[in-house]
Amino acid sequence: MPRILCARFPHLGLLAAWRRHPELRSEPVVVGGAPELRLPVIAASAAAEAAGVRPGQPLRQAQQACPAAVFVALDEEEVARLRAGAVAALCGVAPAVEVGDAEAFADLSGGHAMHPGEPAWAAATARALAGALDGEAPAVGVAGSRFVARMAARVSAPRRVRLVRPGEEAAFLAPLPLGLLPADRAVLARLAALGLDCLGAVASLSAADLQRQFGPAGLAVHRLARGEDGGAVDAWAPPRTLAERLPLDGPVADLEAIRAAARSLAGALGERLHTAALAAGTLGLALEEEGGVAATARRVLPAPAGNGAELWPAVLGLLGEARPQAPVVALRLEAGGLCPGSGRQVDLWRTGDAGREAVVRSVARLQDRFGAGTVLRPRLALDPGDLAERRFIWEGARA
Amino acid sequence: MATTTTRALAEAISGLQRRYGTRAVRRGGDPLAAGSWATGIPAVDEALAPGGLPLGRLTVLAGERRPGCLGASGRLTLLQALLAIASRSMQVAYVDLPGTLDPGFLADLGADLDACLVVRPPRGVPGPGLAMARTLIRAGVPWVGIAFGGERVPPTTWTHPLNALVEAAWAARTVACFSAPAPLPAPLAYASSLTVACSPLGWHEAHGDVAGLRVRLEVAKSRVGAPGAETAMLIRYPRPHAVGEVVGLPTLLPGYRDTPLPATVARVAPATGPAAAAG
Repeated sequence: MPRILCARFPHLGLLAAWRRHPELRSEPVVVGGAPELRLPVIAASAAAEAAGVRPGQPLRQAQQACPAAVFVALDEEEVARLRAGAVAALCGVAPAVEVGDAEAFADLSGGHAMHPGEPAWAAATARALAGALDGEAPAVGVAGSRFVARMAARVSAPRRVRLVRPGEEAAFLAPLPLGLLPADRAVLARLAALGLDCLGAVASLSAADLQRQFGPAGLAVHRLARGEDGGAVDAWAPPRTLAERLPLDGPVADLEAIRAAARSLAGALGERLHTAALAAGTLGLALEEEGGVAATARRVLPAPAGNGAELWPAVLGLLGEARPQAPVVALRLEAGGLCPGSGRQVDLWRTGDAGREAVVRSVARLQDRFGAGTVLRPRLALDPGDLAERRFIWEGARA
Repeated sequence: MATTTTRALAEAISGLQRRYGTRAVRRGGDPLAAGSWATGIPAVDEALAPGGLPLGRLTVLAGERRPGCLGASGRLTLLQALLAIASRSMQVAYVDLPGTLDPGFLADLGADLDACLVVRPPRGVPGPGLAMARTLIRAGVPWVGIAFGGERVPPTTWTHPLNALVEAAWAARTVACFSAPAPLPAPLAYASSLTVACSPLGWHEAHGDVAGLRVRLEVAKSRVGAPGAETAMLIRYPRPHAVGEVVGLPTLLPGYRDTPLPATVARVAPATGPAAAAG
């Protein structure tokens, strides 16, 4: 039985604006840009919303609704930093997380060794999120599907967790207004015209009747109203690579100086990996030379490295492999094969998942060192034909 | 006086074992305690190695060639049969130094090819091959088979990787099974905990065709039991072009002692598989 947590918090654009201008916390703030621009409102503070400003409406209209509002542009870099921090914080508590602009979802299916019981786990998740969002406590809802969890978060309040127990989804949704359904506006208008004013009224109808009236949209609305949408967490996946570049103060030929620069670079990249709760499976080093040529080396790490101390031995090895022919002007370190760095299964049993991962990593290392054709996995051919040597196919062994 | 000395010696040995571990000192005649992997072949589990192949030790199948069998001794086929048995329950790796492995033959022996990793080091050099096997053992592969051919590489080039592999196998309690032609190179003979000499008794024929090889197995060296045990076994070959046929376990050859060793053996080569031809 899946259990999904939804946390609602102020829009990340608004939090970014408050982070840059703390004095605006109590003011009506509209995020989107200057009001003379022909752009929509991205987010508005509670004071601005109280004055009638709504996300999506034109900025000029928002200014007419709330002349005292402060209009700020969206700070995309700060939003990205906030999002990354929220993902890192949630990854330490839940196995699958999704962070949107004003909502976050986490998969609470199963159990957590550190937080026995769903309420404790949900509270820990909310605390972790609040820590990443400058102390802004989210309103949290937990239910069996994505839509019900979102509705539970909507009726919840900041610093509160609203739990919807399994089997109680339809009863919980029944009194909610029809306008909360994520459906086409025309469908909602027709439902309202039929006298259906809440989700319970829609849920009590026959699915076949709704399908006859509205087609597939009718069936979707019926499932949502009964809390049977089956939506899950669209889990965040780590980026494929992470790179750090360090330009030097002029061409450097001294190996000790290059070594010191590489150490600093490993520390910087390790810090980024640690912040993002990631670990690198492969590492590449490029020593950019004066003439524009780069001496490169790459290797598969024996175990994923998630900080500077773990990266450094591999960087030392790469420094020995990459042999620059001219003075070096910059170093570039790239981490690939990224995987979540925290919350991994402890290697208790050699034959378990961790053991299989270790074999996969070792195979990758051997192929990296001795060539792709040195570790193979045979597979029987589907159409062997008459020749004995066609009975099988050699494949490079992979995960 | 003798009793006092014996007791003092026992106490000293006990103290040393407590301090440095049970492997630090032992009596010459005492076999080392080791876990075992049951092969399911009675000839191996009961007659040769009590309980099966020892865990964390090197087992070497040494092939002795005899005239008349075209150089076949059954050691390589037996190694592949054991690998096939292991692959049905665990991840296995096969280090193919001669480069003669026929996966079809392996499948006919009943191997789960999805669980088989085949390692072919560059140019079939033993040093890198053993180093690669050690890496896989340290990563957690519980069963490793290593096929030695007649490589004319000085043992000094692979002695160090072999010692490292022995240590890794001991630490991970891995079954490491070698197949090598007799006489064994000195480092391999020394590192082996169980050496089984394979010598051919002759072809097994059915309807005028070669259907298998009768092999005599003798424990030439054992650190886990008493050497000298011997038995015989029939290793059946898969029929040519019988796709998907599973040969099954090598079977014990009953009453081979009563059968005199053949003076002449059939001069027909095995019908399938380079492994059969090589081993």
